[in-house]
Parts: sequence; structure tokens; C-alpha cells
Amino acid sequence: MDTISRRKFLQLTGAATVGAGAAMLSISEIAEAAITRPLPSGTPIVVVVTLYGGNDGLNTVVPYTDSLYYSMRPDISYKPETVLPLSDGLGLNPAMREMKSLWDQKKLAVIRGVGYPYPDHSHFSSMAIWQTGSPISHISSGWLGRWLDTQSADPMLAISLGSVPPPLFAGVKRSGSALPLGGLVVPSGKLGMRCQTLGKSSINDSPLMAAAATSMGNLFGLSDNVTGALKGPAPAAPDLPVINGGNAGGDSSLQQQLDLVAKLIVAGAPTKAWSVSLGGFDTHANEANAQSVLLGNVSYSVARFLNQLKGSGRASDVTVLIYSEFGRRVKANASQGTDHGTSGPVFVIGDRINGGMYGDQPSLSKLIDGDLAVTTDFRDIYSSILERDLKADPAQILNSWKGRVNSLYK
Amino acid sequence: MEPQRLELTRLYARFAFGPRPGEFSQSLKDGFTASAKKILSQPQVVALDSLATPNFPDLGARPSQANAAASKAFTAALKAQSDELTLWWLDCMAHTENPLLERMTWFWHGHWATSIDKVNFALPMFNQNQTLRANALGNFRTMAHAMFNDGALQIWLDGNDNVKGAPNENLSREFMELFTLGVNNYSEEDVKALARAFTGYQVVRSTGVVTFNSKRHDLDPIRLFGSSVPLNGDAATDLVVSRPENVTFISQRLWYRFISSSSQLDTKFGIEAAFANRDIASAVSALVFNGALSVPQHTVVRQPVEWFIAVCRAFSLQPSKLTPKTMVMNYLQKMAQVPFLPPNVGGWPTDEAWLSSASAQFRIAFAAALAKQIDFNPLASVPSEKRIVYIRDLLGVYEFSTRTFTALTNAKDDLQQFFVLAVCSPEFVVIA
Repeated sequence: MDTISRRKFLQLTGAATVGAGAAMLSISEIAEAAITRPLPSGTPIVVVVTLYGGNDGLNTVVPYTDSLYYSMRPDISYKPETVLPLSDGLGLNPAMREMKSLWDQKKLAVIRGVGYPYPDHSHFSSMAIWQTGSPISHISSGWLGRWLDTQSADPMLAISLGSVPPPLFAGVKRSGSALPLGGLVVPSGKLGMRCQTLGKSSINDSPLMAAAATSMGNLFGLSDNVTGALKGPAPAAPDLPVINGGNAGGDSSLQQQLDLVAKLIVAGAPTKAWSVSLGGFDTHANEANAQSVLLGNVSYSVARFLNQLKGSGRASDVTVLIYSEFGRRVKANASQGTDHGTSGPVFVIGDRINGGMYGDQPSLSKLIDGDLAVTTDFRDIYSSILERDLKADPAQILNSWKGRVNSLYK
Repeated sequence: MEPQRLELTRLYARFAFGPRPGEFSQSLKDGFTASAKKILSQPQVVALDSLATPNFPDLGARPSQANAAASKAFTAALKAQSDELTLWWLDCMAHTENPLLERMTWFWHGHWATSIDKVNFALPMFNQNQTLRANALGNFRTMAHAMFNDGALQIWLDGNDNVKGAPNENLSREFMELFTLGVNNYSEEDVKALARAFTGYQVVRSTGVVTFNSKRHDLDPIRLFGSSVPLNGDAATDLVVSRPENVTFISQRLWYRFISSSSQLDTKFGIEAAFANRDIASAVSALVFNGALSVPQHTVVRQPVEWFIAVCRAFSLQPSKLTPKTMVMNYLQKMAQVPFLPPNVGGWPTDEAWLSSASAQFRIAFAAALAKQIDFNPLASVPSEKRIVYIRDLLGVYEFSTRTFTALTNAKDDLQQFFVLAVCSPEFVVIA
């Protein structure tokens, strides 16, 4: 794929709908499916959390016993007494209290130094690599989209929150669906009937016109037979302070998205893969406060999400994967921020996960052009998830990839 | 079907924010070439017709949070200025006698995508908007210099924090990747080198005034694209814009927005050749006159702002006069496109991204709200059996499908619904 079509893949926002016609679902449709054909209990569910902008790994999992960390980042380092200690001289960002508690419960796996060969420093290119799962050859399908290709067609199987589905879920034959936040208000009466007519297909439709008609028609594919709990609009997002690193995309309402996912999982939605996101991690300047607010949001939202599953019988079915398109440069710039870097930690969380440290911590004394080395290939993680949660053959989806994160799962 | 109806539909919808009453019918008589020449030869002036240019007083620095009352008043003033700025620009788009200039300003806003969400102050955003308008159809090299020296862009990409010794690469990377050359047309070393050249520029946040502080600037020779001499921002901008990749990249970006996001830029239409001297008007002329508009597959979805403005132009609405005051902003926000608030530095997405059921729902609701404020007397005076043809030409739609024809026929005596259905039809939402 040449540069412009790769660029096109991301439609400049990391938010392409590859292949027109990714279905847009309503909460009611999912609720209906949850009632008529709930996911069999015990079926693993994967929740992918994408942090847009490039999260600074060194200030997420802090090497607080390494003097180089302090000498290279005098202004934006965390003092040893403030971090939440894990093991191996590493500690979590002080804002991640709930994550620390998950660590103590042995439910949090911290995979260190994750990346891919020949790291790309562009937000858009690097996010494309992570989402396609293909660092070497440029392809346009997402890694979970290719998993969808191996499944029978079902728009409920993979759902992303927000009105624009991510490339992650775009397969060659099938695509995941998108669930817009906020309640849908469908026109009723005569206007509703007439709008429904506009949603019919027409023989002369161009692909885009057909997609426009489908989007209209999908509004009316609902049933009134829905659970009351899901009917109202989603709760408002909590107020976030103004974040400096917001010029690289992503959503701002992680808690709102995860609240909705929790409700739908508890209700029995026949969905095996969910995608949510949070933006704002592009912290070129004044990083410390911005990033800790964001990480606090991630930590709180994920823990709250897992709590909401308790008592539903599905808590132990869920695996949460948290990643970003790259880490940041080790040395701070002069504006108390960091520029685009390479590897970073990935979190995998769940009852079936063996909590602990995985992979090697990239050495601060052996930097490559000022950047951290990559010690774990992200395809190892994808493979483990595909194999253990989605019962798929990773080699088929990840171009014969053989690596795994050993003993990640119980 | 009239000859050249497809090209005229595309001309108005893509280059002029949609026709005003009577314009499309007149153009069907005048033909494509004459109509296109008329639109393209409008004076490239910054005059904004009858609309008063807004005045944004410098609000100065944010008061200390300790002073709660002052802090609150300051936040309210920021918000008021921001809303005024947005509605003013929407008014310009809806009212302008020179829609191509406004449309190009809108294109460049999505290209040099800067958000008031981080810039905060309306004044620098307004100044950037004026800069984009002044250069919208001018020379890209001049535009690139003006934008490098633009306060809002500098704030947005942390240029203010880029100092000798520990440069901040945010602006230098996006400058090449998104604004001038395209990804992979430069090396990581180039990003670091350009960041050094861009050191030392400082911005007053509340006004966007940029000054050069040589003490913060890296005076050493900088190795960039084969040369190795001391570089400041303007000298480096020249080097970057002189790269041949700049011609291809900007041509591709124009193609992507105005012709097709799904088919590749095709050399046979001569866009790159026309842009060889970085002349934007020539490139636009090539987009319009060289046949790309006649290829049936070159369909484009109206972005929410373009959809709204086309409705305003056809039905003589002035965005800032719509009530309640918050309505326009609220609906544009729901449809995920508010001017001055792009989602990220890459600008807004295209095509399929705007065709979700959520968008469809909000579009219907927005249209229904607008219907209550439209004067339908001209439509009412058209005999009911002729109303479909009338609104088709009023909106400059290529043709309505059978499904839309049926829906409109059923609603032809309920003018509000008739309007809602026409502007929410796939044939209006998607430009043929």
C-alpha cells in the first residue's frame, strides 16, 4: 500500500470505516439480541481500550529505582515515594490507584517494552500498524476484523463505542459495528414512516448513497421490546480538565463508554469483542498533570467497569487490553513534555489472567536514537488473546505469527 | 436529464456550498463552463459582504483561580467569543457572494486543522481564519509562511515551547506529515532538524502575536534536505515547500476532499501540473475544468457543516439569526463537526464516517428544527405536483431516486416534512 492509501485507511483521524456499510447499532437492537440470543455464559469477552496520542510508558510504569530515569527527565519524573510500587523496581503512576489494587489482586499483567520492528513515529501510521496488526506489510484490514472474517456474519459480534468504528474492526469480508453514545431518538408518526422510505435501497445507488440509505434504514430496525435500564440516554461524561495533549484524536468519555459496555455485557449481549478509546495522550508539553489526569481516568473507569460486572456471572469472562500507538522519547523536551517515541507497556487485565510482570524492561542506558528498545512484539499479545479468548488460530490472522506471551493466562 | 447536470450539481455542492435560489436553474441554461467560470472568477477579496467583521477584544491572561468571580466571568467571556466566532463564520459561508473563497477557507481549516479547544482564545483563531482566507486561492508557499507564523497554530502544536537544546517536535512533525509533504516523505532526522529550525518562536496566547526570540533559537547549522546552514522558521519552511513531494501531496489532499476519497489522484487530470508553482487557484481550476467532475464514481458525502450551509443558502437562512441561539451549535456538535473544533490535527474524516445512524438521526432532528424557521411561501406558491422538481433544482440535486420520489410525493402537502425529507435524502446527503 502506498502512503496515500495508507493515509486514506486512517482517513486522517485514525477512524476509518474500511469498506462501506459497517453497521450502526442502537442500544435497543443490542438489548433485543441480548434477550433473544444471549452470549452463552462462560464465553470469553475481549474489551480493547485504545489510548490515542501516544501514552508515555515511562511515566505510566515508572522505573523509580533507576537513576537514569531521574537524570533524563528532571522536571517530569515521579519521586520514588509517590509511585505505587509493583515489583522489579517499577511502580504505577500515582494516579492509578485502582490499577494498583488490581495488581494486588493478581489480575493485572504488565507487559513491558511492547512495540514492533522499525518503530514509526507518526501517530497515524503507528496507530495503523497496531490496529492492522501488520508492522511490515501495509494492509487495510484490522486484526480483529480478520478474526471477524473467520466467524459467521453477526453485526453484534464486535462493537465499538462512538459513531465512527475504528480500523481495528474492519475485516476483509466483515466489519464490526458501531454504537453511538447517547440515546437514539427515532422519528415517529408520518415523518418516521417517510424517513423509513428514504432508507430503502434504490437500484441506481452509488456505494455512498447506499450507505446513506442504510444508515437511515438502520434507525428503524428497532423493537420496543427492550429492557428499561438500557432505554435512557447514556450518562454524561465526567468533567475533565482541559488537557494539553489533545491534538491526536480519540474520545474523551472513557467512563461513559465503559459504563455502557458493562450494562450490555451484564444484559447478555452476544458480543465477544468491544472497542473503546480515550484521547489526549499527545503530551508534548506540560505532561505531568495532563497525563496523570488521563491515567487516573483510565484506572478509575476500568476498575468501575470490572466492578459493574460483579454479580452478573460474567466478571471472570472478560479480558481488558489497554495499549497506545507508541511510548514517548525518554528525554524530556524543554517544555516539560516528551516527543513521539517507541515502545511502551501494555496492560492485560482479567480474572483469568496471571497478574504480574512480563517482557523485559527496556534499558535506559541502551537507547536507540534516544528511544526505548522494543522487547516484546505486540503480536505476541494479540496471539495470546486470539487463542485463549477468541479460540482462533493466531497464525491465520497474524500472517503465521508464532509468538505468545507465555503463561499470561491461567 | 439536462446535459452537464451532474457536473453542475458537483460544481455547486463542492465548490460553492450549494446554490442560492434560482442559481442552479440559471446555470442549467448557461451551461457548465460559463457557470464554473463565474464561480471561479469571483474576486478573491477578503471583503465579507454585508456582514460586519467581528471585533474580539484581547481578554488578556486568565485571572487567578483564587478569584472565583473573575475566573467565572473570564470563562464566560471566552465561551461567548468562541460562539460568536463560529456563528460569524457560518454566516459568512451562508451569505457570501464569493462562495468559492469561503469554501477554500473551509478546506484549509481542515488542512491546517487547529482547535480552539486548546487555543482557548477566539482572537488568534479569528486571525488564523483571516490568514487562511487571504491565502485560500493564492500561493501555497506564501500560505505556508503565514501559517508557520500563525499564533493559533503555534499554540496548538506547542511551538511556544520549542526551544534550543531540547526542541519540541510537535509542530515540525505535523508540519511535514500533515501540512506540506505527507507521511514517509521525510526522515526522523528531518523531523528533529526542522524542530531545531523552528525553535525560538514565542506566542502571546490571548492575541496570537508571534515574536522571535533569538536567545531561544538554535543558531547552529542545521542539516535538512541536503543543505547544512543555520535556519530559521521561514528559511526552513522554504526548503520544505520546495520539495517536489509538496506538489503531489497538496494535489492529493485537494483531490481527496473535492473529487474522491476512494479513488487515487489521477495525473491525467493535470492537478499536479497546475500546482507546480504552488498556485492554489490553478489547481482548483484543474479540479473543476479537467474532467474529474464527469467521472460517475467520484461521489462525495457532504460534511455536516457543508450540509447545513447548503440548506441555509437554498432557504435564505442566516445561522446567527436562528433561535434559540444554542440550536446551531448543539446540532453541529451532535453531528460531530463544529468549525474551529476539529477532532485532531489531521482534520475531519470523510465520506462513510458521516453516514452513521447517529448522524442520520441528528440530521433529521436538525432539519425538523430548521423547518420551523423557514419561510415556505415560495415553495407553497409552487403547484404541489411541481414541488419535487422545484426543490430538486433549488438544492441542486442531480436526481432523486424512486424511493425519495415516493417519500416526497407522500409529503408534498406538508411543506415542513417535504423539506426534511428532501434535505435528509441520500441524494442530497451524498453529492452524486
